Order: sequence, then C-alpha cells, then structure tokens
Amino acid sequence: MAMQDKSWRDGALQLSTLPLLVIFAAFFVIPLGMTALLSFQGTQYYRLVWTWDLDIWRDVFGQWHYWRIMWRTLVMALVCTALTTVLAVPIAYAMINRLSKWSHHITLLMVFAFLTDAVLKTFGWVLFLDRSGVLNGMLAGLGFGPGAVDVLFSPTATMIGMVYNLLPYTIFTTALSMARIDRDLVLASYDAGATRLRTFFEVTLPLARPGILAGAVLVFVLALGVFLEPKVMGGGTSPMAAELIRQSFETRVNWPLGAALTIVLIVIGALVLAAAGGLAAIRMRRSKA
Amino acid sequence: MPSPIIEATGIQKYYGDYRALTDISLSVANGEFLALVGPSGCGKTSLLKILAGFEDLSGGSLTIDGRDMAGVPASARPTRMVFQKLALFPHKTVAENIGFPLKLAKRPAAEIDAAVRHMIELMRLKESYLTRFPHELSGGEQQRVALARSMVSQPPVLLLDEPMSALDAKLKKSLQAELKHLHRHVGTSFVHVTHDLEEAMMLADRICVMRAGQIVQLGAPAEIYYRPADAFVAGFIGDTNLLPARLTPEGAGLRFDCDALDCAAPMLAPGQLAPGLEQGGEALLMIRPEMLRLLAPGETAEATIEGEVAEFFIRGASIQYRVAPSGGGAEIVMDLPGTSVLPAQAGDAVRLGLTLSDIFAVRP
Amino acid sequence: MNDRLEKRLADIVLYGSVGAVLVFFYIPIATLILFSFTESRFLSWPIPGFSLRWYGELLADRSFWSALGNSAVLAVLATLFATVLGLAGAFAWSRYRFRFQWGFRVLTFAPLLFPQLLLGVVMLLWFSVLAGWLNMSPGLWSAVIGHVVYIVPFCIVIISVQMQGYDDTLDYAAEDAGATRWQILREVTLPLLWPGIFSAATFAFLLSWGNFYITYSLSGSARTLPTFVFSGIAVGSSPIYPALATLTFVPALVLIFAVDRLRRRADRKRALARAAAEAG
Repeated sequence: MAMQDKSWRDGALQLSTLPLLVIFAAFFVIPLGMTALLSFQGTQYYRLVWTWDLDIWRDVFGQWHYWRIMWRTLVMALVCTALTTVLAVPIAYAMINRLSKWSHHITLLMVFAFLTDAVLKTFGWVLFLDRSGVLNGMLAGLGFGPGAVDVLFSPTATMIGMVYNLLPYTIFTTALSMARIDRDLVLASYDAGATRLRTFFEVTLPLARPGILAGAVLVFVLALGVFLEPKVMGGGTSPMAAELIRQSFETRVNWPLGAALTIVLIVIGALVLAAAGGLAAIRMRRSKA
Repeated sequence: MPSPIIEATGIQKYYGDYRALTDISLSVANGEFLALVGPSGCGKTSLLKILAGFEDLSGGSLTIDGRDMAGVPASARPTRMVFQKLALFPHKTVAENIGFPLKLAKRPAAEIDAAVRHMIELMRLKESYLTRFPHELSGGEQQRVALARSMVSQPPVLLLDEPMSALDAKLKKSLQAELKHLHRHVGTSFVHVTHDLEEAMMLADRICVMRAGQIVQLGAPAEIYYRPADAFVAGFIGDTNLLPARLTPEGAGLRFDCDALDCAAPMLAPGQLAPGLEQGGEALLMIRPEMLRLLAPGETAEATIEGEVAEFFIRGASIQYRVAPSGGGAEIVMDLPGTSVLPAQAGDAVRLGLTLSDIFAVRP
Repeated sequence: MNDRLEKRLADIVLYGSVGAVLVFFYIPIATLILFSFTESRFLSWPIPGFSLRWYGELLADRSFWSALGNSAVLAVLATLFATVLGLAGAFAWSRYRFRFQWGFRVLTFAPLLFPQLLLGVVMLLWFSVLAGWLNMSPGLWSAVIGHVVYIVPFCIVIISVQMQGYDDTLDYAAEDAGATRWQILREVTLPLLWPGIFSAATFAFLLSWGNFYITYSLSGSARTLPTFVFSGIAVGSSPIYPALATLTFVPALVLIFAVDRLRRRADRKRALARAAAEAG
C-alpha cells in the first residue's frame, strides 16, 4: 500500500505516535537510562547509596564467578540458537511446501502451544522427565530399568526447556520467509534440471535466509535472558545470567549489581543485533548493486 | 457556449523537483464529455486527482461549479470519481456501496433507498443484486455498481480514471456504449482519463491530448484526428504515414518537396498546415492509411507511390497493406475496405494513389 | 542420487520433522492434562487411578481465585491498551511516512528484542524509584504498564501485516463520496482492518495471560496464575497445578480457533474480491 507523507503538525500523525512515544519514553527509555545510572552506585546494609563510582563494574569484570556464568549463558544461548535454527528449517519447509493443505491447522496447534503459560509447560516437562515421571514410567513398561533417562536437573534439561520455549520463534520467521518465495523460482530451478535437494540448497535456502537470520537473532537475544528453564528444569544447578540478576535484586538486594549485569546482557544482545543488522544491510546492498 | 463548470488556469504540479504538470489551462463546459489522453506519465491522472481534490496545486487556480477549490477537500467538492480499480467496499453490499455518498450526506433512509433503486435501474442491474457483496458480481457488473455509486448524488462533474482499462475488449465496447448513453441521459459533465485514443474519440465531445505535463492539443475528435497539432498527436492513434518533406511558400499556398510522393502539382492549401508551418520549412506529411487507394494499371491520381507489398493483415472490416516504396524509406501503411477477393498479394508490385487535399502537414 | 529415492527420503525427513515437533510441543501439555486427573497426591507415573479431586482442591483454594482475578484484570487492561496503541502505532508504521520514522520504528520495536526478564527488571528499578516519590508500591498497575510495553510491538506487527493487503483507493473512494477523516476510519478502514485488530487483541490477551517474567518482576505482591504456579512449584509440586493448566488450556484453545475462523472468513472474502476483479 502507498505511504502517505505526513508532517509532524498533522493531527493524525500526532494521534498515532505521541501516546506511544510518551509511554515508551517514560517506561522504556528512562528506565534504561536509570539502569545505566544505577550501575555506578553502591549498597550498604541493603540500601542504595549514591556513590557514583566504578566499584560495581570493577566487581563485575574482576570476579571469576561472573565471567563463568556469563560464559555459560553465552554458550547455552549459542547452542540453543543453533538447535532451534537448524530444527526450524525442515519443519518450516514441510509446512509451507508439503503440508500446505494442513499448514494452517499445524500453525494453529503451534501457536496454541506457544501462547500457553510457559511456567505450566515447563512444569509439565518436569513431570515428564522426572525419574518417576511419564517417560521413565513408559520406558520401564518396555523393560528398561527404573530411571533409565536421568536428565532432569541438568544443563541438558535446561536446554530441552529453552529449545522448547524458543523453537516457535524460528519456525514462524523461517516459514514466513519461505512462504514469500515466488513459486515460479522453484519451478524454474526444476525446469533448469535441478533436483529437489539441489533446488532446496540453491534457491529456497538462500531466499529464506533473511527469515532464518531474523529467527536466530531473536532466539539468541531471548535465550540470554531465561531463568525459568534453568531454575525449574535445571534445578538451579547451573544458573545463567538472568538467575544472577534475579538473585542480586531479590536475595542480595544489591540493585547496582543487578543493574550492571543487566547492562552487560543488553550490550551483548545489542552487539549481536547490530552485527546481524549489518550483515543483512551488506547483503541487501550487494543484491541491489 | 454554456457556462464552464470547470475552469482551470495555469495549473502547476511539482513533486519535489519533478514537474508533473506545467501551466495547464482548461475549461470544461456544463454537460460536456471531455477525454484526457496521453501516454503514461503525461500527467493526465495527476490532473484528474487535482480536480478530485486528492492532490494539492503547486500553482494556478481551479474553479468548479463557480467555487474556488483552493483548500476544499475531496469530500466537499462537487465532483465524484470512478476509480481505476473501482474501489468498491468489499464489506458493504451493493446497496450500501451505492447509497454510501447519500448516507454520508445524512439523507433519510427512504430517500437513499429510492435513489439506489433508481440507479440500479439506470445501470441495468438486477434488483436482486442489492443485497449481494461486490465480489459476488462479475467484472462488468462491478463496473456499473462503481458508476452508480459515483452518480447517485447527482454530482455536477464525474471524473473517470481509466475505469475500463482492466476489461476485455468485448465488455469494454458494450460499457463504452453504455457510458455514452448515461452521459446523454444525466447531463453531468464527464472528465474521462484514458490512454486509449480510440475510446476517447468514440466517447468524448472534446479531447485533450497531453504530453510531459502539458496540453499538446485540445479539440473535437475530428480535429484531433484529421488536424493534429504535431507529429506526436498524429502518431498517437493507430497507424499513420508521416513522410518527410520540405515546404516552400508559393502563391497562396505552399509547395512541398517529398521524395516518397510522385506528384505533378505538389501544392498544399493554408488549411492543410499545422500551426507554425505557414512560412514553410521542414515538415512531415501525414497521410492516414484509409486515405490511400490501390491504383489499377493506367489509373492516375493527384499523387502516387510505387512499391512492393511487404505484408498484409486481414482485420475484418479492413485489410491493411504494408508497402515498401521503391524509392526506399519507411513502409507505407494502407487500409482498404475488406473484400473476399484480395486486391493484391505479398510481393506484388503496386501503385498507391491519394488526393492532395487529404494530406495534412505537421512539424517534425 | 535416484530422484524417487530422494523424494522418498525427503518425505520421511519432512513429514517426520513436523510430526516430531508437534509431539514435542504437546508432550508437557499432554502430561499436565494426564496428571490433572490423578487420584494420588504424588505426580509420578503410572497414575494409580482417575479422579477429579484435584479440581475440587484447586477451586477451593482462595489464592487460586485471587490469582485468576488478577490475571483476568491484568490481561483485559493490557489487551485494551496494547491493542489501541498498537493500532495507532501500525498506522505510523505502515501507512504514514514522516521525519524520524526510523527512530519511531526502532523505539516501538525494541521491547520485542529484549529478554523479558531484563525488560521487567529495568522497569522495576524505575517503578521502585517512582513508587518512592509517589508513595505507592509496585503492584498490578505497574504490571499493566510492563505488559503494555512488551505487547504493543506484537500488536503493531500483526495489524501492520493486515494493512499490507489494504487497498488505499478505498479510502480515497470514501473521501470522494463525501466522508470526513473520521467517517473514513469508522466506515471503511476499521471494518476492513477488523480481522487484524481482533487477532492482535487475542494475541495480546494470551501473551498477557501467560506472561511470567514481566509479571514476576513488576507485580509486587499481587500474584497472577503464572506466578502463583511458579511460587507453588518452588515449594513443592501438587496435582492442583496440572488441574489448573487443564482448566486454562480450554478457553485459550477455543479463543484461538474462534479468531482463526473469523480471520479466514475475511481472507476468503478478500481473495474472492480479488479474483473477481481480475476475472472482470
């Protein structure tokens, strides 16, 4: 659809932007600035003290403990991104190209699963994977010993939970970009003598790349901030950065520390976003040239 | 001449640095059917949008129905538009679509209902269509609903933005006839944008030919066809022959020098000249294909062309010959009335003849 | 490779992957539904017998009812604000072009790219400061604001998608017919965008209803269903949570299918209109 040029004096533009701008400034931009400021303060006896120094930052970068948790968070986020991205490709492809008659119902089933309360679903996984849960119960019925699968309360369980909660994002973005591929391009490839597999790698996959990249970036950023899965499924044995942030607010009541850790995670996320954005921009410029 | 309903003076339209319209002055008489024609990008649609109020003027003035239109929004103008893509509201029934302008004008329901029924009848639509949705109608029926919606409030001016460009040839013909009928019946002024000059000639009282944001010629269809202002207008419709020539004043008329034509007395009367050629100079002689005839051996004409038939096309009512002149130069196009026995075959040597008064000279 | 063999293999991989992922998605959901009918107090397999007693226990739990009430209030308010703001934002995103539009888009899209917990935490810091000044403590009100900021980008995207298929000449046609800006909006634009607005509202409702991280950070002492479950299972699991899950799944499923029917009907109408216009 055509875009209408609007000046900021136009009432319609003001009506459609100003409320959002005010709300996002007041409850998103200012809080972000506030968080940055807080990271330069200190605490004493569980109370905030306006010290304006770098103590917290020295602490964050100086302690091995934080480095280790940050490293673990990064690795977990990367593994989760890789798994969800790779898994999404065949699923999205099948939904768009093979099951087009059913893709609508499949999408609905996925949306429902996606929108359901994450706490409950994660709890459902605990019940399923537990030593005396459904999986082991069924395996025992097949003749395996009791507790044949013992993954609950381990990083593997955390990863299962993360993949479970984030996979819909990559499936949706990948399927969306695959659905937009002109079917004639695929037919042209067959016509040129390419096999299905060849066509998939030469035509479909490159054209779907923007969606795949977008999904991967989204999952990575979201994976940086999980604490439900490490806590409920990982049993708190291998905490990730978000758990650290939660603790610094709740148990240790050290707001400046929590603020600094939050900033670190936001910066990592922003860097990845910027890198992906840059990559996409370069590709776009090249394909236009 | 009746008083003008539209009076445009020196209209300018810029999009940034791009000049879409340069100094357009034009008046449309009450009840007139005016066609705006020109190639795409000539500014005809911009002009229509300016009349409708969807675009602002960059300069000049516009009066419609005696009122200055500066600052008057589209919704308050005495004009209605039929859109290229019809723009029927998919969520409203046919009756709601047609009655929409009256509903907005807060007319009583009974009046709206009566007006809608009247339009349905005028447009030869079935009454059972009233409760249907636009997508349940055929393309031609949708067209009539769109026309009905634009006409229901009896606007003094109806603007049509190529509403028939998407239709197939046959449907187009029948709707063109109906549009003409409608125009005669309602007495509204029509301004009709089209890139199809044939359609314009068939429908309009006057045709305004535009190019690159300017009016090239404004006149009755016969004038546009037989006395084009320049080579661009001459070549805009169908096939035409434009033969390069040199004109020199001699006596009351002009003598022409044209390699393609064999002519004993090559003279043109002043009435056969487009503006700017009174003093002679380089020119193009326009000869419409239907002005040429095939000469029998020994038959003579005021001017003749010798050549060989390159190709011919049977077009139903006429047969078109493309003849390569023996003296070289561009192929000559000739339309002969259709006959069951072909007067000439491809490869035949032929002689074409014409009457000098059928020639019209334009500037190259 | 033989083309037929290749096709067979591809089919196995493709159909298999979709089947597997659906099973994967529904494992915890099915597990919860199964356990909600257990007779036993312990959530272990096999289930000794079926009963509805945990539904009774759940319904007798006062804190469940207060969490349900809070969830409903929070979701309704968040849906209302997020949908209206999202609709306004979608106009600015997809229909208008203006100076600094890029900035507007980045700002209103950013929360979508934020880990929810961080979004919550960042706002919590600010609300705690505000609360100190205004002498009030974070509660449902701050959770509503948090949810709105988090959900608005989703609504903008969904409504913008609906706008992509919108034919603006319809607006011009309405204006030409004599409609004012407000009449155009009410008579033409909004009715045609309605399926998109409705799906945005549904999505907003479900996102708010199931949200854990932001509610957890911002709702103070008020509990919603997700935080009620979280604090419950932290103490010790009980079959009332599977019962709760089963009870809340049903309305969500009904809602999603209802919205889908509505949307598909609108899409079909549009496709028909387009086909008719092209056939014309």
